[in-house]
Amino acid sequence: MLPAAGEPAAGDSWGLLACLCTVLWHLPAVPALNRTGDPGPGPSIQKTYDLTRYLEHQLRSLAGTYLNYLGPPFNEPDFNPPRLGAETLPRATVNLDVWRSLNDKLRLTQNYEAYSHLLCYLRGLNRQAATAELRRSLAHFCTSLQGLLGSIAGVMAALGYPLPQPLPGTEPTWAPGPAHSDFLQKMDDFWLLKELQTWLWRSAKDFNRLKKKMQPPAAAVTLPLEAHGF
Amino acid sequence: MTSVLLPLCERNPEPMALFSVSQTAFLLAFLSLRTYQSEGLSEPLPWAPESLKVSVNTTCQCLHLQWTVHNLAHHQEFRMVFQIEISRIKTSNVIWVENYTTTVKWNQVLHWSWESKLPLECAKHFIRMRSAVDAAKTPGPRVWSSWSSWEEADVQNSLGQDPLFIFPKDKLVEEGSNVTICYVSKSHQNNISCYLEGVRMQGEQLDPNVSVFNLNHVAFIRETGTNIYCKPGQGDGIKGTVLFVSKVLQEPKDFSCETQDFMTLNCTWDPGSDTGLLKQLSQSYTLFESFSGKKTLCKPKSWCLWQVAPESQDMYNFTLTAENYLRKRSVHLLFNLTHRVHPMAPFNILFKNVSATSATMTWKVHSIGKYYTLLCQVELYGEGKVTQHNVSVKVDGAHLFSGLEPDTEYLAQVRCANGDYFWKWSEWTHQNFTTAEAAPSEAPDVWRNVKTVQGRCVVTLFWKPLSKPQAHGKILFYNIVIEYLDRTSVSEVLSIPAPASGTELPLNQCSSQIRITASNSVGTSPASVLVVSREPGNEEVEEERVKGTEDGFPLSWNPQPRHVTGYLVEWCEQPRDPPCDLQWKNLGPNVTSTVVSSDAFRPGVRYNFRIYGISTERVPYLLARKTGYSQELAPSDNPQVVMTNLTSHSFTLSWKNYSTESQTSFIQGYHVYLKSKAGRCHSGSEKAVLSDDVVCCKYKIDNPEQKTFVVENLQPESFYEFLVTPYTSVGEGPHDAFAKVTTPDEYSPTLIRILLPTVFCILLIMITCYLKSQWMKEKCYPDIPDPYKSSVLSLIKSKENPHLTIMNIKDCVPDSIEVLNKQEGTRKSLTETESTKPTYLYLLPTEKRYSSPGPCICFENFTYNQAASDSASCGHVPVPPKAPPSQLGLLTSPENLLKALEKNYMNSLGEIPAGETSLNYVSQLASPMSGDMSNLPTNPPEPALCSEYKMQMAIPLGLASPPSSGSSSLSSITLLDEGEHYH
Repeated sequence: MLPAAGEPAAGDSWGLLACLCTVLWHLPAVPALNRTGDPGPGPSIQKTYDLTRYLEHQLRSLAGTYLNYLGPPFNEPDFNPPRLGAETLPRATVNLDVWRSLNDKLRLTQNYEAYSHLLCYLRGLNRQAATAELRRSLAHFCTSLQGLLGSIAGVMAALGYPLPQPLPGTEPTWAPGPAHSDFLQKMDDFWLLKELQTWLWRSAKDFNRLKKKMQPPAAAVTLPLEAHGF
Repeated sequence: MTSVLLPLCERNPEPMALFSVSQTAFLLAFLSLRTYQSEGLSEPLPWAPESLKVSVNTTCQCLHLQWTVHNLAHHQEFRMVFQIEISRIKTSNVIWVENYTTTVKWNQVLHWSWESKLPLECAKHFIRMRSAVDAAKTPGPRVWSSWSSWEEADVQNSLGQDPLFIFPKDKLVEEGSNVTICYVSKSHQNNISCYLEGVRMQGEQLDPNVSVFNLNHVAFIRETGTNIYCKPGQGDGIKGTVLFVSKVLQEPKDFSCETQDFMTLNCTWDPGSDTGLLKQLSQSYTLFESFSGKKTLCKPKSWCLWQVAPESQDMYNFTLTAENYLRKRSVHLLFNLTHRVHPMAPFNILFKNVSATSATMTWKVHSIGKYYTLLCQVELYGEGKVTQHNVSVKVDGAHLFSGLEPDTEYLAQVRCANGDYFWKWSEWTHQNFTTAEAAPSEAPDVWRNVKTVQGRCVVTLFWKPLSKPQAHGKILFYNIVIEYLDRTSVSEVLSIPAPASGTELPLNQCSSQIRITASNSVGTSPASVLVVSREPGNEEVEEERVKGTEDGFPLSWNPQPRHVTGYLVEWCEQPRDPPCDLQWKNLGPNVTSTVVSSDAFRPGVRYNFRIYGISTERVPYLLARKTGYSQELAPSDNPQVVMTNLTSHSFTLSWKNYSTESQTSFIQGYHVYLKSKAGRCHSGSEKAVLSDDVVCCKYKIDNPEQKTFVVENLQPESFYEFLVTPYTSVGEGPHDAFAKVTTPDEYSPTLIRILLPTVFCILLIMITCYLKSQWMKEKCYPDIPDPYKSSVLSLIKSKENPHLTIMNIKDCVPDSIEVLNKQEGTRKSLTETESTKPTYLYLLPTEKRYSSPGPCICFENFTYNQAASDSASCGHVPVPPKAPPSQLGLLTSPENLLKALEKNYMNSLGEIPAGETSLNYVSQLASPMSGDMSNLPTNPPEPALCSEYKMQMAIPLGLASPPSSGSSSLSSITLLDEGEHYH
């Protein structure tokens, strides 16, 4: 807040000078003018939100290519198989009340953990891709996703939340068992891309909510519970 | 090279039964068996298969059988046949019977496998077998043991709890195979639909829970396999499998090995299509050399390096094997290493001793051993030619190129091969070099143009640049030596720097010899000699026409009786331009015809050719002149025609400025077209129909130099249109822009000849009359004096008696006459007027006479009524019956009248306008003798004149009875008549 300067007496130049000095003395304390201070998590939340939207757009193209690579029925628009063999994938869909009740720390932690897992799976997908062009697209997307992960970590650090530590032995691996058929593997790939898409939608909502929360007054955010098809 | 096909089953041969057979043991066993058969046939065979066990391998869809044969004696061996029956679903449904023959020995476990086309999970299988001693060498029927009991192979029980299964799981087959797919449903649903790549398949029901789909000749679709999936009618469950269809592994093509340095062998081949899949790596290649027994795995798909053994191994026998999960293919190659030498490209090419015509090339080669000789091929490109030489090289190569052209760039290249056993040439190594310059070999081709400027010969020399083979280097300058033939002048030497192609030289004397040479950095060319003569030669040679063709202008001339050293044809390539671009062509002495061709020749341009003979003294003289067109074009323009001498029956057309020389073709004449409304053509013309169906008369002029034409036999006052167009062998000029003319009237010239002088005369008369108008007036119609202008009025005013101003004539008895004469138009000064005034006064009657009512000195003259009223100068104007009201109003009142009179009087005292004075003071009775008022005092009227006036007045007196106006009018007429009579 600007300090109120006293009314200078007419002709009293010493009083005016003292008033000016007082103003200058308190100037660094004015928040609006203090550009060297920490801007807070607002800009990084905005950047993270923008990144999720960009990744969402990028994934739309990548998923189309990859599902064509898998062949029908995975590239059919109305293909919606049961989520059988993808239990290890972090699930993006959540009950609306549960989602609303999440605090910022938990919300960010879930995002961070989900993308850590998804990134790992995606790298496995990249390793087995047969065509060089597909490998290039997947590697590019992995790099972008790594950036999103770093961005979320930045937001958490700005808000003072610790990064979740992976429990030993629970790191996700891309090693399908011998009983895992190739068809089920393709199904897992399909679900990986689908969950990734849903997570990006959810993250956009999460960061939008967070962004508004940091900029009062907060606006209401609704999250559709139904995951959209590709 | 040969190839061997090794199927998978041979690649991994399953050891079914492997025994060493002893001839002795076999004979013993056979004998004992025969003995047993002869003793009792009803007994079962003692060596029946026992302990039959069936196991299932779902990966390869194989049934694996193992059994033993009991009762075999120790060390006994038999050749036995085992008949195996396989049933599907039920024992009675036998699908496979096979006799398996093998040698059996004591205590041996026998094995046999069978691969099922149908996935084993799709149906139960039953297996049984029996045995017999292989008695192929002995006649008679084979004696079989009894069948073993049916063994069941059922995998369905171990499938699990899923409601739906699809088999086989993720099978790998080759393209073109036949594959059987089945699903097993445990939920007893009948409406299960199955799809191959999204397309529904039609299968056959094997049993209520199992359906089978046969896929024939499956094709490769993608690396990730062909998706086959089934889904039940209800629920969202989906089950699928991936069928990996691999491309068929092809045999490596063009397998070849060679060495460049005897250190490594480079083997290459064409691998064909890649058989890699998501489930199967691409095919691998292995290189095996049988003599050394070494083997190497080739990581690249199409080449492999093999290290040559340090010890001397000449022969190599390679086997290249391509292998994938399904198939293996091999090719062989046997060769001698020295026959497969592909040397590296030569290097370090140098040129030594490069002269104008020769150069030595040296190069180095990579050694392939001291016992080998390399054969090198040297090629030389230059001047559009290629020469090739072969050189044997041990260490360094060298070759001398000779017969080269001076100052020419050449490309030399060399490649080598093994000279002892040719296999392949190395790559080319090439290098450029340029030979040295030499003196020009040919004299420049020179021609001249001689003209006389102010009595002095000026010769313009032209020369063509030497061609590259003639110049032998870069021409630096041209030397010109002028030698005057009469030896009176000193020779002149000039040097013109290149690349000039001509120069202009004023000569001291015309008769001279000019020598021109070209020089480069090495030397000078032979001289080209021209002799300039004062005699112009045979300039009056008649010009002939020549017809150009596509190939050029064929020119020919008569052979000359005198000896000539050659002929020369000269022409201008740009004849329309001032520079002319002089061209010439030298011809031999025996040539009398040539064809001049040039890309610069254009259609419609006239080219002039001059053919010279060159005498032995090098003096050229004109032989012939030719002119022609490479292609004649129809004239594009018509002459500018001037029409003259237009009469009613003819006119003359003229186009003198039209040049026949500068047209697009030879002008043969002209056509004059005349269009008229009459449409009749007179003699000398013919009817012609123009392109726009207009009929007109056409006059033909055959002489191209006749450039005037008189069109005759025309109708007067008629409209004509005419056009003059040249005609050539290729057509006429354009038929546009007809000029228009209308012939004049036939009589109008005559009329003009009469009318013009008449008008002139009239005009002359009129001008004369105008100039002499005063004289004419006086002669023809002199002014009538106006009594109101007389001096009497002043007297009236002086008496101040307005009632006495006018007196009727009937009341008057004239007693005296005062005649006033004043020359009209002369202006008198005030002093003169004043000097004359007393004269008037003295001439007036006395006051007494004036006041008396009886005698009257005032009289009216109605001749000037109108004039008096207009000028308002007369005080007493009798009002005529038809006078305008305004005039009545103005003059009837006594005051107005008085004022008018006063004014008049005052005017008479001052400067008097000429018009007024003429009206007022020139009396009708004025004597012709008194033309000037100034004469009045000196020439008073004679009494005789007075008497005549009286006589004039006598007539109104006789007519006193009519009213004043009428009598006045009548009297005035009478007076006028009298006046005329007077004259």
